[in-house]
Amino acid sequence: MILSSMKNVVFGYGHEPVIDNLSLDIEAGQFIGITGPNGAAKTTLLKLLLGLLRPWSGTVSLNKEMTEGGKLVIGYVPQQVASFNAGFPSKVIELVRSGCYPRLGLFGRFTKEQEELVERSLRQVDMWEYRNRRIGELSGGQKQRICIARALAQQPQVLVLDEPATGMDIGSRTGFYKLMRHYVSNHGRTVIMVTHGLEETSPYLDTTISLERKEQEGWTCLVTNSCSAHFGPGA
Amino acid sequence: MLGYEFMQRAFWAGGLIGIIGPLLGVYLMLRRQVLMADTLSHVSLAGVALGSVLQLNPALSGFAVAVAGGLVIEQLRRSYRTYSELPVAIIMTSGLALAVVLMSLKQNLSRSFTSYLFGSIVAVSNTQLGLIAIVAVVGLLYFILLRRPLYSLTFDEETASISGVHTGLLSFSFAVLTGMTVAAAMPVVGVLLVSALIVLPASIALRIASGFTAAILISVSVGLAGVFSGLTASYYINTPPGGTIALILLCFLLGAISFQKLLAIRRRRNVRKST
Repeated sequence: MILSSMKNVVFGYGHEPVIDNLSLDIEAGQFIGITGPNGAAKTTLLKLLLGLLRPWSGTVSLNKEMTEGGKLVIGYVPQQVASFNAGFPSKVIELVRSGCYPRLGLFGRFTKEQEELVERSLRQVDMWEYRNRRIGELSGGQKQRICIARALAQQPQVLVLDEPATGMDIGSRTGFYKLMRHYVSNHGRTVIMVTHGLEETSPYLDTTISLERKEQEGWTCLVTNSCSAHFGPGA
Repeated sequence: MLGYEFMQRAFWAGGLIGIIGPLLGVYLMLRRQVLMADTLSHVSLAGVALGSVLQLNPALSGFAVAVAGGLVIEQLRRSYRTYSELPVAIIMTSGLALAVVLMSLKQNLSRSFTSYLFGSIVAVSNTQLGLIAIVAVVGLLYFILLRRPLYSLTFDEETASISGVHTGLLSFSFAVLTGMTVAAAMPVVGVLLVSALIVLPASIALRIASGFTAAILISVSVGLAGVFSGLTASYYINTPPGGTIALILLCFLLGAISFQKLLAIRRRRNVRKST
C-alpha cells in the first residue's frame, strides 16, 4: 500500500529549486532510509512529505485509507530538536508524557494505560532511570533519545526521523535501529529516516532513497529496495 | 494602609496582574519573545495618546492598540523567522515615536502621561480594574484549558503542528493575550517597567524549577510576593510603586542566584570530602 505519493514536485528556498520535478511513492509498512550528501535536500524532502512546506508546483498526497479514526498519527523528530531548547524547564517524564497529548485532547484523563505507554517508551530508549531529571542536564545523545521516546509515546502509524542517531553511541544506535525494525515488522508501522550512516543502517532498511546532485545532470533520486532478509523475531 | 479605597484597588489590580503576568512571562521567555512585553507597552502608550487626542477612553484605546500591536508582531514574526527580535524592535520604535508625536498634540495632558510611564496607584481607575479582572480571568482560563497544546507549541513548533496542534491559531491568540496583559498591567507598574513583572519572576523560575509545572508555580508565587511587598513598601517609604516592585523582584533574582551558587559550592565540597 502506498502511504504518500509526490508528483512532479518542485521546491526551493531562493530562486533555484533544490528539488526539481520529483516523483516519489512511499510504501507503507516499510523501514525507509533517505540518504545523500549535505545540501541534497533530505530534510526538505521530509518537510514536503509532512506538509510543513508547500511545493512550488506538483502535488504531495497522503493516503487517506491509512487514517485511523479520521486522523493519521505521525510522529516527527526533527534534526537536532534537542539542541534548540536546552533551557526548557521540563522534566524528562513531562516531555515524554506530552507525546500522549494529541490522543488525549484537551481534557482526556491520563490513565494507567498512558502511564505504561510512557514508561515503555522511555525504557525502549533506555532512559527510564533519567525520568525525573531536567532535560537541560542531559547530553546531546540522551536528549535525542528522549525526543524519540516522546514520538513513540504518540503511538504513531508513521514515524518520521531526521538524523535521529546524531550524538548517540554505537550501542544506542544499534538498539534503536533494531527497535525501529521491530516496529515495522511486528506492528506494521512505517518508519522514514534520514541517515548518513548507510553502512550501519542498511541491514535494517527495506528501501533506500538516495538523493544526489550532479554538476551536469542536476538533481537525481535513486530508490533501491534492499533484498536482505528482515530482522527480528517472526520475520 | 488598606483602609484607603485606592490602596484596596491597587492591591486587587496588583494581585491579578501578579498572577497573569509571571504566568505569561514563562511562555514568552521560552518562545524567545521576552522583549515583546516592553514593545507592547510602548505601543499601548501610543494607544493611550491616540485615545486622548480622539477623546476616547484612554484605557480602552491603549488596550485595543496593544492587542493590535501583538497581532502585527506575530504576523511579522512569520516573515522574519530567523530574526525574531527584529519585528519586536521595529514595532517598539514605531510605537514610541507615535506616542511622542501624539502626546505633543495634547500638551495639557502630558502630566497624566507620567503616571502611565512610571505607573501610579492613583491611576488605577475602575475601568482599568475591570479590564485587569477580565484579562486575568481570560488569561487563567486560556492557560489552564490549553496547557497541553501550549506545552507542545513552546517546546517545538514543528513537532507540535505535526501532532495536530493548530500552531497558527494558538500563536495568534497568545499574541492577543500578551497585548491584553501588557495593557492591563501598565497602570500598575508603568510602561517602562511592565516587562519587569513579566520577565523577572519567570527568569527566577527558570533558574530554580525542576520541571515545567514547577516553573509556572514558582513564577506566579514570586510575582505575587513581589507585587504585594512592593506595593506595601512604596506606600510606607513613599516611592513609585512600579520601580519598587521591579527592584524587589530584582533582589529576589539576585538572592536566588547567590543561593544557588552557595548550594553548588557546598555540594562540591561534600563530594570532595566523601571521596
